[in-house]
Amino acid sequence: MAPVSTSSVILRNIRKSFGAVEVIKGIDLTIEAGEFCVFVGPSGCGKSTLLRIISGLEDTTSGTIDIGGRDVTDAEPSARGIAMVFQSYALYPHLSVRDNIGFGLSLAKLPKDTIRQKVEAAAEALQLTPLLDRKPKALSGGQRQRVAIGRAIVRDPKVFLFDEPLSNLDAALRAQMRIELSDLHRKLGATMIYVTHDQVEAMTMADKIVVLNAGRIEQVGSPMDLYNAPVSPFVAGFIGSPKMNLYDGMAAGMGCKTYGIRPEHLRLTNENPRWTGTVRHVERLGADTVVYLNVPGLGEMVVRTDGNANPAIGASMGAVPIDGREFRYG
Amino acid sequence: MTHRMYAARQRNIGLVALALATLIFILPFLYIFLMAVKTKQEASLFLFNWPAEWQFWTNLVDVVETRNYMLLLAYFNSTVITVGAVTLLVIFGAMVGYVLQRRPSGWNRVIYGCILIGLMVPPAVVPTIWVLQGLGLFKTIYGMIFIQVAYGLAFTVLLYRSFIGTIPRDLDEAAIIDGARPWQIFFRVILPLLKPVTVTLIVVQSVAIFNDFTNPLYYLPGKENVTVQLTLFNFQSQFQSQYNLLFMNILLVTIPPLLVFVFFNRQIVAGMTAGAVKG
Ligand SMILES: Nc1ncnc2c1ncn2[C@@H]1O[C@H](COP(=O)(O)OP(=O)(O)OP(=O)(O)O)[C@@H](O)[C@H]1O
Ligand SMILES: [Mg+2]
Repeated sequence: MAPVSTSSVILRNIRKSFGAVEVIKGIDLTIEAGEFCVFVGPSGCGKSTLLRIISGLEDTTSGTIDIGGRDVTDAEPSARGIAMVFQSYALYPHLSVRDNIGFGLSLAKLPKDTIRQKVEAAAEALQLTPLLDRKPKALSGGQRQRVAIGRAIVRDPKVFLFDEPLSNLDAALRAQMRIELSDLHRKLGATMIYVTHDQVEAMTMADKIVVLNAGRIEQVGSPMDLYNAPVSPFVAGFIGSPKMNLYDGMAAGMGCKTYGIRPEHLRLTNENPRWTGTVRHVERLGADTVVYLNVPGLGEMVVRTDGNANPAIGASMGAVPIDGREFRYG
Repeated sequence: MTHRMYAARQRNIGLVALALATLIFILPFLYIFLMAVKTKQEASLFLFNWPAEWQFWTNLVDVVETRNYMLLLAYFNSTVITVGAVTLLVIFGAMVGYVLQRRPSGWNRVIYGCILIGLMVPPAVVPTIWVLQGLGLFKTIYGMIFIQVAYGLAFTVLLYRSFIGTIPRDLDEAAIIDGARPWQIFFRVILPLLKPVTVTLIVVQSVAIFNDFTNPLYYLPGKENVTVQLTLFNFQSQFQSQYNLLFMNILLVTIPPLLVFVFFNRQIVAGMTAGAVKG
């Protein structure tokens, strides 16, 4: 196994304004060396901005950034020991795959042989060797993605930054690339910071998830922490699929402001049900079935149940929560 | 409409277009050529007929040798002016366009204002000559180069600026992360991607500058400064005109731009229609 890099990222009270609008509103965050950290949050919450601040493409309005124990708040992007993979891949269209990967090295005036070796090693690791002399436009989406990753790898960075790198790929390729990225993380042992709005990517790849909401950190924790103990309805609704059922607690008669229960923590039954509703829609996924109930006075309730269940549309169904799995906020 | 009728109609339209193009573009050329090979007497009749006597070679040699090989000097001068002006135009135009597009600042408005003035306000000859004289550039090839750059820069900047707008900013940022300095981003990432517009500009501007008649007439007097279009004066005077030689001269002067068009035809069209740079 490759040596684990000693490259933590520490953000202290980061703020960022564009004109009069404050987009990042005071972020304190420590990302341990070698960690796979995922920023999630709804569109426009400032994930990309925060990542760009770490990369140095955007400067901070206030606050400091440490990478690998060194204050890099005012350092150039290329002096921060980071590499970035863009959502659009941002490959140089006029350069071959080889020159794309080696561009940074050639700017650093490394000897031609060294560049060649490094580029070929990276290409080998990413199965790009047969494509080295092609131009980006002659590559598929997944291959371009790999070239972009290759360009990051050859710089031998302490920290990798990814901004929604998989969002232009189809579902099957995305699943495959998730695994490849996790493998890469294990192999390189580098710190990785990954922006996505896809909670599946967050859950499956992260060591640590940072949930952002409107420029603030809502919660930080491991995927299972966030799943088991979301601190707010916002986090509760964001992590987990299908989404948690969230209701106005007063209307539901629960004596709290917001009441939440996950679809997988509801049981369909007609004996002493807590709620009764009519079946509006059924999604049979094979391994399990997702049932959409219309509960009078509450609204839609999503229940995840056994794959063999197949309730008739329009039938009346009851549901009960599993003990200890309910969430009450406020 | 059946497919076959449709194809036939398309072909007919094509033939008509071709015939029109021939009429408009080829006939004048043919006329020039026929005039150029006639004798002096026959040429003075201005008829569109087959020459009774072919004098191609004699006329050619006459034109080249006139006034101590003035035409060759003119070719040399025009080439120097064209190459110099177009090189400066491309480099400065792309640089200004890049900065304008990528770095919004308070100055952009001012620069835009200057560019629009450059496009719209007609240049005044006499004040320009004063300025040139003040700078010691009047009657010099450099002066002429700067004049051509000044006249072409506004258009060049606008064209580059809008094309650079189609190059994703991510590319600049990827280069920054890769450690590129601003000038490296420009010369190693942006400029190569501008090739389609650059080719178009080179062709359009070279032809315009090479063929320019009025500006050298005003700003570049002097026998040693003659440019190709001005050599046409050699055969036209109040008392005696040698139209066969005049037309031969026209023919010789037209050939270089024509060759440029023929060779770069494809790239020009590509440059005119080029849009976003795909990754
Ligand atoms: N250069 C800029 N100038 C002004 N406002 C900006 C700029 N860049 C981003 N913003 C604003 O900052 C906010 C956060 O943007 P950001 O791109 O970080 O969101 P995001 O979380 O990455 O969203 P998405 O998931 O859609 O990519 C948005 O409201 C956006 O409009
Ligand atoms: Mg974003």
